[in-house]
Amino acid sequence: MYELNICHLYPDLLNLYGDRGNIIALKMRCKWRGINANVSDISIGDKFDAEAYDIIFLGGGQDYEQEMIQNDLLNEKGEEIRNAVKNDKVFLAICGGYQLLGSYYKTWDGKEIHFLNALNLWTVGGKERMIGNFVFECDFLKNDNYDGKIVGFENHSGRTYLGPEVKPLGKIVKGYGNNGEDGFEGAIYKNVYCSYSHGSLLPKNPALADHLISIALKQKYKDFESLSSIDDEFENLAHDTMVKRITG
Amino acid sequence: MNIRLTFTIIITKLLIFALRILKSGGTSLPGKVARKIYPDIMKVISKDFRIIMVTGTNGKTTTTRIIGKLLEENNIEYITNKSGANLVSGVITTFIESVDIRGKSKTSTALLEVDEAAFNVVTDYVQPDILVVTNFFRDQLDRYGELYTTLNNVRSGIEKSPNVKLVLNADDSLCASLGHNMDREVVYYGFSDEAYTGNITVVNSDASICLYCKSKYEYSYHVYGHLGGFSCPNCGYMRPSSKVTCVKINELNTSYSDIIFSLSPIKGNEEPVSYNARINLPGLYNIYNALAAASLGHLFGFSPDSLVKAMESFECGFGRMETIETEGKTIKVILVKNPTGFNQVLSYLLTEKQNTQIAFVINDRLADGTDISWLWDVDFEQLQQMQDNVSYFYASGIRAEDMAVRLKYAGIHSDKIQIEKDYETLLNKALDATLEGQNLYILPTYTAMLEVRSLLEKKFGLKEFWK
Ligand SMILES: [Zn+2]
Repeated sequence: MYELNICHLYPDLLNLYGDRGNIIALKMRCKWRGINANVSDISIGDKFDAEAYDIIFLGGGQDYEQEMIQNDLLNEKGEEIRNAVKNDKVFLAICGGYQLLGSYYKTWDGKEIHFLNALNLWTVGGKERMIGNFVFECDFLKNDNYDGKIVGFENHSGRTYLGPEVKPLGKIVKGYGNNGEDGFEGAIYKNVYCSYSHGSLLPKNPALADHLISIALKQKYKDFESLSSIDDEFENLAHDTMVKRITG
Repeated sequence: MNIRLTFTIIITKLLIFALRILKSGGTSLPGKVARKIYPDIMKVISKDFRIIMVTGTNGKTTTTRIIGKLLEENNIEYITNKSGANLVSGVITTFIESVDIRGKSKTSTALLEVDEAAFNVVTDYVQPDILVVTNFFRDQLDRYGELYTTLNNVRSGIEKSPNVKLVLNADDSLCASLGHNMDREVVYYGFSDEAYTGNITVVNSDASICLYCKSKYEYSYHVYGHLGGFSCPNCGYMRPSSKVTCVKINELNTSYSDIIFSLSPIKGNEEPVSYNARINLPGLYNIYNALAAASLGHLFGFSPDSLVKAMESFECGFGRMETIETEGKTIKVILVKNPTGFNQVLSYLLTEKQNTQIAFVINDRLADGTDISWLWDVDFEQLQQMQDNVSYFYASGIRAEDMAVRLKYAGIHSDKIQIEKDYETLLNKALDATLEGQNLYILPTYTAMLEVRSLLEKKFGLKEFWK
């Protein structure tokens, strides 16, 4: 029987906007296929050994809470996270977690805050928030039956820019995405997946959830080929209804 | 006589009357108009009132209702903004309705529910003599910004009210901080460490870190959400001792809660005295609401008897929980609007012993919060325990499909989840599945509640909501 160990980083502090929905989705989609999924909560002061996990999740928080974890994240867990990224570990980072993986955050009045520098990307604070339902398209998810469209909700004032070796997660169909300018959303680097789509990103986009589970299983088990299909009636309904509503 | 004042009052009163006739239920427009014609109107017409305001993220309406009952028990006439018109304009409208054309009123007490995001602005026009704050939980963030901003807005409103007395929740580290190092008289209310032990610690908490030094709080006991016996190991900020305290819960069920609460003297150090009370609404959160109201009565020097009476006899406010009897079946409508409130409603549903139907009606309009991600912060997983007693979980509203997904991932069997977007069909199906003597629960978000309510009005003749 296959088994995945999922690490939820700072679930008590980085938990804005239903981010734990992504953990629930990974866990249940494993469970329904008879794959054992264990979730470990790792927070401030806890020892973090990236090798013990197959998928690492980092959500977003309020400014105040994000400030609070900064020291622990950068000084106690930073080296381990940078190494894990290099060694192809599977990550999912949302909103604030996405920004934290980058090299820095520049506030709109010019103050520069150093972040993890695990990925070559950076964020510049803006005065206006980019809020709303949005749709983007992921090439790596496209197949004969699926157009690769992902639907979510974004709510951020930071504008994120990607270095040359980091690829966007998808192309914006409707909404703002990374910075509201270049038409891209999120980031992919090695096995790290980042998005501004918080909350129920994975439950409503089962193809992306399964993609993450698949690459984690491939990393771990030489004999793993592909996931069995499961009933996604409700998920697809929720996905299609929102895509239709947003793109008109 | 102040001609301009009289003119403004007449125009506004006519407008209120016209809107009533048109049945638009619009309660904020008249206030807006009044402010345009006469910006200082509030200062003039509110100056003879003793003003009680109730704010906070959850439980404002219920707390206001219990306080209203309490004032009635003590023969105090008051004006109030009943229909949830709790922004600046609604507050103004309430005052204008109560005064004659010279700006004078026969009533001298005002009881006002004030939106937590609007409180700071409201205090620019009128300051409370007593402010009751229920709690601070995450609510519709995409509209109001972050929780700490809301807290600080309320704080600056208090700073603008030099003579205000505060009634604060001791168990909420955010709410209690409003009285910390603040030069105001404060009465705290809360649970004792032994009152409630049934709760598991929830990771997903709104305020797990110290407001003053950012260390992680330690808890000697937990009630729900982030409410409980918090203390900061680093700077020493901790739950203040409460004057009005729930010391024991004798029974929690789907209709009421039996509790023992104690009153410590407002001034002096005499031993607290305990009283039995039945709170006429179920759920832990309503115990807090009752304690908040009791604290106000305690501060006013009302008799403990009248506090107990008010808790036992107040009626539920607009949409918070409404009961409709039809053909021996009971429809219960309970508003849901954020994770903490929703979790409390769910744990209340778990006390249901009979077979039942549950309908979730989720909208994502501005007043509901356009982002429905918060559904993932609600512990629907606890519904697994009652799955066998529920024939169907219905998902309805604009975001019915998202709700269905949430239930499925909470471990509810797909066969038991039904998406039904048409309210009429939903109601018929759900009532058919409900047997005589059983309950049908409808849990709508704000705008969904208005829609469901207008259907129920049509079918069963409910009262119009501003009455
Ligand atoms: Zn502290």
